[in-house]
Amino acid sequence: MEFVINVLYSTLRVSTPLILAAMAGALSKQVNLLNIALEGLMLFGAFAGVVFAAQFSNTWLGLLAAVLLALALSAVFALFVIDLHVNLIVAGLAINILALGLTAYLLTVVFNTRGAFIPDNVQPLPVWDIPIIKDVPVLGRILSGHGVLVYFSWLMVFMTSLLLYKTPFGLHLRAVGKHKEAALTAGIAVRRVEYASILLGGILAGLAGAQLSIGDLTLFTDNMTNGRGFIALAAVFFGNGAPGLTAVGCLLFGMFEALQFRVQVMSGFSPQLLQMLPYLIVVIILVLISVRKKIQRQAL
Amino acid sequence: MAYLELKGITKTFPGVVANQNVDLSVNKVTVHALVGENGAGKSTLMRILYGMYSPDSGEIFLDGKKVVIRSPQDAIRLGIGMVHQEFQLVPSLTVTENIGLGMEMTNGPWVDRKAMRKKVIELSEQYGLQVDPDRQVAELSVGVQQRVEILKLLYRQAQVLILDEPTAVLTPQEIKALFVVLDRLVTSGRMVIFITHKLNEIMTLCSKATVLRRGIVAGTLNVADTNEIEITRLMMGQEVEIFQSKRTEISGKRVLEVNGLSAINDRGLPALKSVTFNIKAGEIVGLAGVEGNGQTELIEVLAGLRQSKGQVRLGGRDVSRTTLRQRRQIGLSLIPEDRRHQGLNLLGSIAENIGATRYFQKRFSRFGVLDQVELDRTANAGIQDYQIKVDGPDAMVSTLSGGNAQKVIIARELADKPMLLVAAQPTRGLDVLSSQSVRKELVRMKMEGAAVLLLSADLDEILSVSDRILVMFEGRIVGELLPAKASYERLGLLMAGHVNQDV
Amino acid sequence: MLLKKSTPWINQIFEILKMVFTLLVALLMGALVMQLSGKDSMQAYGALFSSALGDSSAIANSLLAATPLIFTGLAAAIAFRAGVFNVGVEGSLYLGAFAAAWAGFTFTSLPGWLLIPLCILVAAAVGGLWSYIPGMMKARLGVDETVTTILLNYVAILYTSYLVNYPFKVPGMANAMSAEVAPAAQLDRFMPGSQFNTGFLIAVAAVIVITFLMKRMNLGFELRSVGDNPVFSKWMGMPTEKIIEKVMFISGLLGGVAGAVQVLGVHYRFAANFSPGFGFTGITIALLACNSPIGVFFAALLFGVLRSGSSTMELFTDVPRDLIRVLEATVIFFAAMEISWNWLRRKRNGIRN
Repeated sequence: MEFVINVLYSTLRVSTPLILAAMAGALSKQVNLLNIALEGLMLFGAFAGVVFAAQFSNTWLGLLAAVLLALALSAVFALFVIDLHVNLIVAGLAINILALGLTAYLLTVVFNTRGAFIPDNVQPLPVWDIPIIKDVPVLGRILSGHGVLVYFSWLMVFMTSLLLYKTPFGLHLRAVGKHKEAALTAGIAVRRVEYASILLGGILAGLAGAQLSIGDLTLFTDNMTNGRGFIALAAVFFGNGAPGLTAVGCLLFGMFEALQFRVQVMSGFSPQLLQMLPYLIVVIILVLISVRKKIQRQAL
Repeated sequence: MAYLELKGITKTFPGVVANQNVDLSVNKVTVHALVGENGAGKSTLMRILYGMYSPDSGEIFLDGKKVVIRSPQDAIRLGIGMVHQEFQLVPSLTVTENIGLGMEMTNGPWVDRKAMRKKVIELSEQYGLQVDPDRQVAELSVGVQQRVEILKLLYRQAQVLILDEPTAVLTPQEIKALFVVLDRLVTSGRMVIFITHKLNEIMTLCSKATVLRRGIVAGTLNVADTNEIEITRLMMGQEVEIFQSKRTEISGKRVLEVNGLSAINDRGLPALKSVTFNIKAGEIVGLAGVEGNGQTELIEVLAGLRQSKGQVRLGGRDVSRTTLRQRRQIGLSLIPEDRRHQGLNLLGSIAENIGATRYFQKRFSRFGVLDQVELDRTANAGIQDYQIKVDGPDAMVSTLSGGNAQKVIIARELADKPMLLVAAQPTRGLDVLSSQSVRKELVRMKMEGAAVLLLSADLDEILSVSDRILVMFEGRIVGELLPAKASYERLGLLMAGHVNQDV
Repeated sequence: MLLKKSTPWINQIFEILKMVFTLLVALLMGALVMQLSGKDSMQAYGALFSSALGDSSAIANSLLAATPLIFTGLAAAIAFRAGVFNVGVEGSLYLGAFAAAWAGFTFTSLPGWLLIPLCILVAAAVGGLWSYIPGMMKARLGVDETVTTILLNYVAILYTSYLVNYPFKVPGMANAMSAEVAPAAQLDRFMPGSQFNTGFLIAVAAVIVITFLMKRMNLGFELRSVGDNPVFSKWMGMPTEKIIEKVMFISGLLGGVAGAVQVLGVHYRFAANFSPGFGFTGITIALLACNSPIGVFFAALLFGVLRSGSSTMELFTDVPRDLIRVLEATVIFFAAMEISWNWLRRKRNGIRN
C-alpha cells in the first residue's frame, strides 16, 4: 500500500512538467504547428529558473526568468516559422540544439562547473498542504503537499479547455487549424493567432522547465529535460490536441517514470532498459492510434 | 456617383497583367454581372475589392468616399462580403460557428452560442435560406453550404455581396432558388456583384453587365438592351463557333466494364453505390453531374487509388485488384481533375513530367539506371507534337501558362495510344482556344479507337463531344441519354435526382 | 536546387552566396556569445582554425572529424529530399556501431578483407532496418515520422548502453565498453599522430554512390518526385509507399555505416554514448547543403574543421566546445530560411502569402 501511495504521489509530481509542456503543444497543434521546440524551450526554462533563483536568492524571480526566457525563444521560433517560412521541424531542432549548446556553454563559462549546477542558496518552489484534504487518509497523502506548479498545471488543463472551446479566441484557433483560408476570409488575423498560440506555449514550456529545476530539487544538469519535450508531444498526439485526454497521457507517462525509479532500486534491473521503455511505449501507442484510425476507415 | 466605384484598377502578377485600368460602377438594388472567360481577371478584381490583393494603382469609392481596403477585415468592416468559388467553411465547426466566425457574439469572455443561434435562425427565415444551425458543415450538401456562405455575409451586414461563380456547383433547380434569394436581397437595398461566364444566367438575373476580356473592360451593358451574341462577342473579341464532334458508329468491343462498384469517401460516407456501366472502343462517354456526387471517387477507383467493392474490367481483364501502374501498363491514361497538384510536378522539368509514367520501362531504364537521352527524346517529341511553347525539355513546368501546362499532361497521357482515356475536368480554367484544342484531342483519340470517359461540369462540353451521356447523382448512375435526346432541362432534372422521367 | 540543370544561373549564384552568408552569420553569432561572456572571440577562432588547418596532422584530424558527418549528412539529405524527416540517424548510428563491433569481436578468425565488409554489412543492415521501421509506419499507417524517429533515438542509445553494461560488459573495465574488435577488422590509419583512417575513403565512395543514385537512377528520380509532390507521384502510378520505405532504409543504412566506421576506424570498440551528436549535425549539414550529396560532402568538411578545431580551442582558450552547437543552431536557422531570388522578387510585387 505504501508503495502505491508513493508511486501515485510521485506520478503527480513527475507529470507536472509533461502536462505543462503538453498544454503548450496542444495549443500549437490546434493551429497545425507542431511545437518541436518544446524540448529546447523547457531546457532554457530550467536553466534560467535555477540560475536566476541562485543569483538573487529568490525562487520566484527564477520562475519569472524561466518564463521570460522561454517566451523570448518561442518568439524567435515563431518568427522563423511563421514569417520567415523556415520548416517547422528544422526550426524546432535548431532551438533544441541551441538550448543544449548555450546552456552547457554558459554553465561552464559562468559557473565554472561541468555537467551539474547545484546551488545551495535556493529554496524550491513552495509546497501547499491543502487544508482538509491533507487529512483524508490515503488520498490526502497522494494529493496534498505538492509544489504549487503541480496544482497550477491542473488548473492549466482546465483553462486550456475553456480557452479552446468556450472563447472566441479558441474558436479562431480551431478554425485556423482546420481551414486557414476560411479563417482568413472571415477576417481573422491568422498570423496573430498563430503567434499567440506559440507564445502562450512558450510561457507554459518555461514553467515546465522551472518545475524540473526549482520545483522539487534545486539543480541543473546538462540536458536535464532528456526528451520530456518529445514525450509531451507524444501525449499531444495521444490526446489529439484535446487538453483532457492529453493530460491523461501525461499522467500515464509520469507514472512510468515514477515506477521506473522504484523498480530499479528494488530489483536491480538494468536502468537503461527501464529508461528505454517509456519511449518505446510511446512509439507503440502512436502506432496503435494510427492502426485504429485505419481500421475504423476500413470497416465502413 | 454610384454607391460602389472602382476607378482605374490595375494589377499585375509576374508575367501576367490581370487587370488593366478597370472601371466598375455598381448601384444599389442591382444585380451586376461581372462577365468574362476564365482568366479574364474577374476573380482578381473582386479579390482586390475584398482586400485579398492590393492593386498596383487605382482607387475605390464607397458612397462617394474614397476607401483603402488592405485586408478582408477592412472589407468586412466596410460592408463588403464575398462568397468564393471554393467555399471558405471550416468543416469541423457547426453552421452557427461558421457564420459567426471572426465576429462572434460574446457574453463576457465566452462565446454566446445561444444568441448567435437565434440570429442565424432570424436571418435564415428573413431571406429564405434554410439551414440547420447546429449541424456540422462537413455533413452538408454543397447547395446548403452555399446558403451558409451567404448567411455569413448577411450576419456581417454586408451591403455589397460578391458571388464568384456560385452556380458552378448547383443543379438547375437550385440555381432557380438562389436567384429568388438574390432578388430578395437586392430589393432590400443591397447590391450583388455576380461573377459568371454563363450567358443564360446573365440574361435571366442581372440588370447590368460589365465584360472583362484579358484584363481590360471590353464593355458595360444594360442587360435589357443586349443579347447573348453581343455579350459573347465582347467576351471573346470574336465570334466563336461551337465545336461539334462527328458522331460515328460505335461497334467496338467493351474496353471498360464497371460492375457494382461501391466505395466510401474520405469522410466515411458512401460515395459510390453499385455503379455499373461500360465504354466501348471508339466511344466517348460523357459523365454529367454536379460536383460532389461521387465523380471524384469514381475516378480514384478507376485509377486504383481508392478501395472499392465490385469489379473493374479493362480490355476484358479484371483489374480490380491491380495497382495504377499496372493499369497504366495495360492501357489506362488519366487526365486528373487537379491539374497543378495531381497532374504535374511543378518543381520538375518537362522531361521529368512527361517521363513520370514510363521511366521504369525497358526503353528508358536498364538495371535501375535512367536513360536520360531517351527521356529527353520523348519529351521533345511531345513538345513538337502538341506545340508546347517552351525552350526545351529541361524547362521548368512552373513557368508554363494554364493551357501549355495542360498540353504537357496531354503529351504524357496520350503519347502511348491508350486503350482507355479518363479525362476529369480537362478544360477547367482554360481559355476558349485551349479548351477547343483539348476537346479536339479527345475526339482524335476516339477516332483512333480509344475509349474515352469524359467527366465535366460543363454541360455544353458534354453535349458537344459525347457519343453517350451518363448522369451521376449521389453515387449512382441515374440516367443514360444520347446527346440528340438530351436537353439542359432533362440533364438538370437527372443531375438533381429526379429520375422518373422518360429518357 | 544546385544540381538542377534547369535552374537559371542567378539562382545558383544566390544559393552559394546564401551559404556563405549563413556561415558568416553563424561565426558572428558565436563571436557575439563569446564576447558577451567575457571570452576573446578572435583568440578562440584563431585557435580553432589554426588547430584545424595548421599542419598536415591538423588537416588529417579535420578530415577524420568530417568522416562520420559525411555519412550522417547523406543519410539526412536523401531522406529530406524525399520529403521524409528522418531525425533518427543518431539511433541508426548507435545500433550500426554496436553491430559492427559485435561482428568485429565475434568473428575474430576471419581475414581482414572478409571481416571488414562483414562488419560494415551488418552495421548497414541493422541501421537500415532501424530506420525502415518508422518508414514503414509512415508509409502504411501515416504515423508522423519526426516524433517516432526522435523517440527511437533514445531507445537505440539506451539499448546499446544496456548492452555494454550488462550482456557484453567487459569485466574489469571502468567505462561501459565492449570488447575490442579483432585487429583484422581495424581500418588502416594514414599516418602516425592522427586517427585519420581509410574510413574516409568509404565516405567518399558513399558520396559518389549517392550522387549517382539521386541523379541517374530510377529510385533517385522516384524519391525526388515524391519529395517534390507526393500526390502527383501517386497519380503517375509510382509506388510511393515502397519508395518511402526504401529511402528510409538507405538513410538508416548510411547512419549505420557511420557508426561502423567510427568503431572500426577510431575507437576499435563500442562505448556507450560515444557520439557527440553526429546524427543531428548531419541534419544541419543536409540543410546547409540543400540536400545535395556533393554539397553535403563540402559542408561536412567544414563542420569537421569546426569540430576538430573546437576541442583544441577548448584546451587552449577555455572556450567550451559547446559553442559549436550555438554555431550549428544559427546555421540551421539561416540555412533553412526560404529566401531565394524568386522569393525576394515575389515579396517586392506585393503578393501576400
